[in-house]
Order: sequence, then C-alpha cells, then structure tokens
Amino acid sequence: MKGLLRYLVLLAVVVLVAAACSSDDSDSGTTTTAASTETTAAPSGDVTTIDFWVGFTDYRLDWSKETAAAFNAAHPEYNVQVTGFKAYNDVWDATVLAVDSGQPPALIHFFEAATRQALDAVTPDGDPYFKSVTDAVAGRTEILGEPVILDSVISAARNYYTVNGSFYSMPWNTSSTVMFSNMDMLKAAGITEPPATWAEVTAACDAIAALADGPSSCITWPNHSWFVEQSLGQQGELLANADNGRTGRATEVYLESPGMLAYLEWWKSLSDAGHYLYTGVQRDWDGTTAAFYAGDVAMLIYSSSDTTAINETGTESGFEVATTFMPRNGDVDYVGNLIGGATIWMLGGLDQVTEDGTLAFLNFFSNPENAAAWHQLTGYEAITTEAIDLLVSEGFYDENPANKVASDQLAAAKNTPASLGALLGNFVGIRDVITIAIEDILVNDLDVATRMALAQEEAQKSLDEYESLFGG
Amino acid sequence: MLILGLVIAAVLGPLYVWQNNDNPTVKRYGIGSAVAVLGAAATPLAMGRCAFEEGSSGVDHLLAYSLMAGGAWLGLIVLQFLFDRVDGKAAEGAAMAGEIRTGGFRMGWWVPWVLLSPTLIILIVFLYLPAIQTFTLSTKLTRLGAPKSVDVCFGNFTELLITDPWKLVAYPLLAVAAIYGARFWLHHSSPNTWSRKGADVASVFAMLSIFVALYAMFSPGGGGQVAYRPVYLNTVIITLGIVAFGMIGGLAVAYLAFRKIRGATVYRTFLIWPYAISPAVAGVLFFMIFDPTAGIFTHLMDSWFGIDVPNYRENAVLAQASIILASGWKILGYNILFYLAGLQTVSLDQIEAAVLDGASTWQRFTKIVLPALSPITFFLLVTNLVYAFFEVYATIDFMTKGAPAGKTSVAIYEIIRIGVKNGDLGRGAAQSVLLFVAVIAITLWQFRSTGERVTYGGA
Repeated sequence: MKGLLRYLVLLAVVVLVAAACSSDDSDSGTTTTAASTETTAAPSGDVTTIDFWVGFTDYRLDWSKETAAAFNAAHPEYNVQVTGFKAYNDVWDATVLAVDSGQPPALIHFFEAATRQALDAVTPDGDPYFKSVTDAVAGRTEILGEPVILDSVISAARNYYTVNGSFYSMPWNTSSTVMFSNMDMLKAAGITEPPATWAEVTAACDAIAALADGPSSCITWPNHSWFVEQSLGQQGELLANADNGRTGRATEVYLESPGMLAYLEWWKSLSDAGHYLYTGVQRDWDGTTAAFYAGDVAMLIYSSSDTTAINETGTESGFEVATTFMPRNGDVDYVGNLIGGATIWMLGGLDQVTEDGTLAFLNFFSNPENAAAWHQLTGYEAITTEAIDLLVSEGFYDENPANKVASDQLAAAKNTPASLGALLGNFVGIRDVITIAIEDILVNDLDVATRMALAQEEAQKSLDEYESLFGG
Repeated sequence: MLILGLVIAAVLGPLYVWQNNDNPTVKRYGIGSAVAVLGAAATPLAMGRCAFEEGSSGVDHLLAYSLMAGGAWLGLIVLQFLFDRVDGKAAEGAAMAGEIRTGGFRMGWWVPWVLLSPTLIILIVFLYLPAIQTFTLSTKLTRLGAPKSVDVCFGNFTELLITDPWKLVAYPLLAVAAIYGARFWLHHSSPNTWSRKGADVASVFAMLSIFVALYAMFSPGGGGQVAYRPVYLNTVIITLGIVAFGMIGGLAVAYLAFRKIRGATVYRTFLIWPYAISPAVAGVLFFMIFDPTAGIFTHLMDSWFGIDVPNYRENAVLAQASIILASGWKILGYNILFYLAGLQTVSLDQIEAAVLDGASTWQRFTKIVLPALSPITFFLLVTNLVYAFFEVYATIDFMTKGAPAGKTSVAIYEIIRIGVKNGDLGRGAAQSVLLFVAVIAITLWQFRSTGERVTYGGA
C-alpha cells in the first residue's frame, strides 16, 4: 500500500514537471511557436508570440506593456510579450545569448550609441542580427490594418538611424539636451532670460554666486559623453572620420578637436570657479536632478526625456522652471544638436507571420495617438510629424510650451554629419574613455589638452581593435 | 629561445629529484628530467610559439619562461608525491587509502566515483570548464558577439606590466632577498636583544617589500599600456582596510557582546543582521547616509553642528574610507558570529588561573583569548580576504562607481567594467586570471605563514 502511494506521488511529480516544461515551451521564444504555427497550418485560435525586450524597468516599461496589451486586444492572433531589463546593455547581453542558443526575441530596444555594434553583430551562421525595418515593410502602407508610420518619423531621428541609405530601426524614446532654469533664482540675480551661450552662462553664474542667499553652486549636468557629443554637434565638429562614420566606417576618432577642447575648457572653468556642481558620479542622472530640485543649483542641463517630470516637480517645489535650448559656444556658428535615446530593432530570420505581426506592432506602438501619449507622459520627442500635428491640434503645446523646446531645437539643426552624431565602433567603450577623462580633469584639476591627448590614444586603440574584429 | 628553456628544465628536473630523494636511482633522474621537460612544454604546447615569435618583447619571453618554470615545478611536485607513495613515505595518505580499501568501501573502485559524479559534473560544467575558457580568452582580443577573434598571446598581460623585462625580474628577486635576509637575521639574533628587535622590524618591512615590488611591476599607464598600478594600489588599500576593520571591529564587538548582560541573545542577533544584507543593499544604505545632496548624515551634520560635509565621492581618501566602512560593516556581523562562537571555547579555567596570578584584563586578552581564537582568526582572514576581493563590486557600484577618477576602482570592479560593461572579453579574462593567481598566492602564503602559528588546542 505504502509502495503504491509512493509510486503515485512520483508519477504525479513527473506529470507536473512534464506539463511545466511543455507550457514553458509554448510561451517562450518565438521561433518554436512560429515553427509549430507553420507546420500545423495554424488552426484558428493559435496565437503567435512576439517577444519584445525593453531596457526600462520603471513607468516607461509599464507604458510599453499597456500599449502591447492594447495591440494584443486588437489583434488576438498575436501576443506581444514585453520583458523589462535594467539597462540597454543587459538587453544586449541577453540578446547575444539568445541568438547563440537559437531562441532570439522578435524585437529589442537598444540605444543610439550602439547602432554600429548592432549593425555589425552576426549570428553563428554569419547572418546579421537585424533586418532593416524599411526593407521589411517593403513599401506597404498598411500592415494587418495598422498604417505604416515610417515615412513620417521626424528627420533628426530618421537621419540618425539611416545607415547605408536604409532606415534600420524604429525610433522610440528620442530626446535631445535642453536646459532647465530655476527662474526664481535667476530673477533674484537680476537675470530675466535663461542664458543661451557659454559666456552668458558664466556671467549668470557670477551674478548668482554674488547673491547673499544664493545656491551653493550654479549649474550642473551629468558627466555623460552625450553632452560632449551634443556640444560637438552645436559647434559643427566631427567626432570621427568618414563624416562621423556616415559615409563609410569610421576608423579615426577625434578627441582633441578645437571644439572638444573649447567645451571642456569652459566646463573646467565653471568647475574651477565653483559654479559647476559635480556630484562625483559618472552618468549621474538622479543626483543632478536631485540637486536641481533641492535648490543647490539654479540651472540643469539635461535630457528632454524628463521635461514633464522636471517641470511638474519644480512647480510642486514652488519655483518657476524655464526650459530652453542647451547653451552653445557663442564664438562659433551654431550647427545643430543631435538626438539621443533608443530604437527598436527587429531581428532577422522571423517567419512571415511573425514578421508581419511584429511590423504591425511597431507601427501601432508609435502611431500618432500612442506617440503623442508617450510624449505627454515623459517628454521624449513626439516621434512622428502626425503625432506633433495631433498634439498641436489638441492644444497641448499651448498649455505646455516646455515640451516643444526639444523638438524646436532639433528642427533648428542643420542637416550635417556633425549634427547627426557619430556612428562609431566600440562607442560605448570610447564614451567611457571620455567620461573618465572628464572626471579626472574635474576632480584632479588636470590640464585639458594633456589629459585629452591620453584619452585620444586610448580611444583610438579601442576603435582600432574594434575595427580589426568587425571591420571589412 | 624556447629550446633553451626546455634544456634548462631537463637539467633542473634531476636536480630536484636529487634534492628530495635519498640516493635516487638513474631511472628516477631520467623520469625527473622527462617530467620537467613535459611540464615546461605544456605552455608552448597549449599556446604555440607565439611568445617567441618575431616582434615579441622581453616581457613576453619572461612570462613564457615563468609559465614554463611553473609547469615544470608542478610536474615535479606531482612526481615527488608519487615517489613518496612508492617509498611508503606518505604515511597518512597511505593509511587512509588502506582504510578505504579494507574498510567499509569494499564494493569496487568505481563506487566512490559514481557517488561523487553529480558533484563532479557540476564542478566541471560550472567551474572547471569556464575557468579553462577564461584562460583561453585571456590570450585573445575578442568582444561579445564578434564574428572573429585575434590571438594576442600574452598581450593582455604585458600591457598591465612595465615594459622593462630586467626590472620585472629584479623587483620580485629583491623582495624575496629582503624576506630571506630578514629571516636569516631573525634566526641569528637572540631574544630580548636590540638585534632581535631590529630583525622584527626588518621582517615587517620585508613583507611590505612584496607589495612595493608588485606596485613597481604594474604599469603606470601611457605608451599604449594599461594603467594598472592605480588599480593595484586601490585594491591593496581597500582590501586591507576592509579586512582590518571587519576583523578588529568584529572581535571588539564580539568581546563586548560576550559579557553576561540581560537581553544578550536579542542584541547578539541584531549584531549579526548586517551579514544578511546583500552588498548592493549595503551600498545603497551608505549612499543614502552620506550622499551630499540627500544624505541623512550630511543633513544632520549641517543642521545640528553647521558642518558642511564634503562630497565623499570627490575626495579619494573619503571615497575609499566610505567603501571600507560600508563593506567592512557588512562583513562585521559574520565576523562577530564566528568570534562569539570562538569565545565560548576559550578555557575559563585558564582565565581563572590568570586572574588569580594577577594578570590584567589586557594581558588575559592578549595572552589567552587571542591565541585561543587563532584558528577562527585564520579562517576569518581567508574568508574576509575572499569577500574583500570578490564581493565588493555591488557596494562600489552603488556608492561611487569607481569615483573619484578611478580611486575606488578595485581589481574586481575593473574586471566587470572592462569585461562585462565594455564587452572587452579578452582583457577582462586576463585581469581575472591575474586576480585568480593573486588569491591563490595569498592563500598559499597564509597557509604557510599564519598556519604555523595557529593553535588548534590539544597536543
């Protein structure tokens, strides 16, 4: 009797495990499900899973899950599953492993500086990881009833992600750098308009520092290479050869250009005068906003992605926030700011059913209503002209002029390789080199030109090595 | 060049045999020579002749020779072990083996292997294979997802070192000479003389000379080399800081908590809590305390005393101190736990006798309690070192991210920054091999030096 009972329990365990395994199969990995859809001639009720890996874990992930749920409701034959990751690089690492094991997702969310890396990646069979979204759409204006919005993507984003004439990945969160000013402090120092040039910023900071009850510092922004790149774009300087890697593969990086040195000299002069607050952490998005909210600084140069939150929090904290263009070098002609953010890449090798569903989802995800809602929620660019039109017609910009600043700034940019931003191998590592060099300059009071010569050497070596592995 | 190395091995092999055996036979000399050559040849067999090809530097040769010497030495140690078994010298091992053969395991030689196989399989798949892969990766230039990789031989290692091979040889030799010199002096001085005191001081400095020699051997950067010297210095400072703070603090707290006070069990439990916290959470906690903008500590100092606490992340000393504080605090509970257990084994009779003899509290502590705790101290030293080497990444990442200007970037932090975040797998692997060697060396050295002084009681 006892023996029989034991046997039954064992049997139950085996059945449960088997069931768990098989159910696992059916909802993980598009390829397996897609394969079974093909072979079994898809009886109605069969659902194709589309895995979408996102590099967010906060309210932005929630928004993408809600939007995916709306798509699933409209297209019951598809099931878009959104998975959140802590950072873009975590998405990438997971993708590499998934491709190696033959179970990749359909869509991944990846950031702008890694565009070269994404294009260069190849599967063990030697195929590129990703398929160009434009090629996949192949001129269709509607996919599964979802209008194609590729053609109306704003030009700054479209041009950034167009490589070798093909618009590769679908822009999602796209932003630019803007400046937020605590107008109460500026007015107390007798300044009515936020400064627009470096010289004006320095002058404003001198005036604020002279205040008896002024803030402890004057201005801050994260020590992130993106701000350096923005400044190069403004001054019309290239970061790499081959037109910033736009007309061919970039093989040389320029970290000692006059524009680079001018920007860093100005940055260091602000720091030396006690105007610039360095939080002591590289890429410190949280610490810099916290300092602005706490009234430790009068100005914050930041991503437009948080326009909504910064304006709301400023108002709640009881001071007036003004949103303006990123300050530029007044000594040279303004060329243009560039975008930052991330796009959604579609993996290659999807079967037709999955690919169509994926493309339909991509176009649904950024359709005018969704793109407008995303902009209102965050402050990231309204990514299509249709979405901007929708926001204008709803009167959103009249009520929230701050949200218009970043797109105005991008619209003001001349379309040159400098203002497009660089496509560069090992860009993440080179950005790291720049960030560390700047921290060294700020904290250890080093000479800008000497330190950047060292950084140039490191960055060039890093690029050479990358090209020896991926180039030609 | 490569042949020369093998010839030297062929000569040194018999020498080793001659030194470690009484009247060895010709056959044994021959085997010794062959094993030494095989051991030395292992490296070139695995890596090819790359270290001796044209364009290779003196440092490449040096690394290749060191590995060949290491291989030969390992081979000879194994050989000697076998010789000793044949001679019946390894008494303990032989007795145990005999017991296994004659005792309860008379089921065939394969039974233990079958029983061990689950553990072995897990070890092989998750530990040994990745370890071998790390060694292979460390000789390559490669990136995650790259379609190809380039063999760089010892390039990932040589770029961490200074470029002058003679200095690279001289510094460690000088350090070893200093240690043997100090030891010689120590043996030839009588107790309680000035000479002995001088020898004691010299021994300490001789030990320190190893750290100094290593410091001089790592590259300060520039000229295409990686600036590993600062990383080494940070690692030494932060590791020693954590171990010293964690162990001295742990013993002090445990000694206080050991007294018979009401509610002792409750607050002893509280004391152990920090150990249950993950390194990441420890980092976040201390970040919240010391953050210059939003920190509790800075806020209180400002509002109570009007002191403007500087930003710890902009000051190298403060940044390192705060990492030591946070990481040391986290391991404190663990040390307290073991010291509390250890204190219960200290013989009360001895302490009572010491009290009757008029020994002061301090004397009782240093002469009776500390020696009785030495096995636990030794154990904690090893575990604390491993913790300080490998588990501080999350704490550093949350508190400083290596700031200011890399002053809190320790070896493990660099490995993850380069190998994982920047995707430079070869360099990351090379640095982790370096850390692996360092930990093995320190552990061996601890077993030799500290192990001698550890008393486990009994006979």
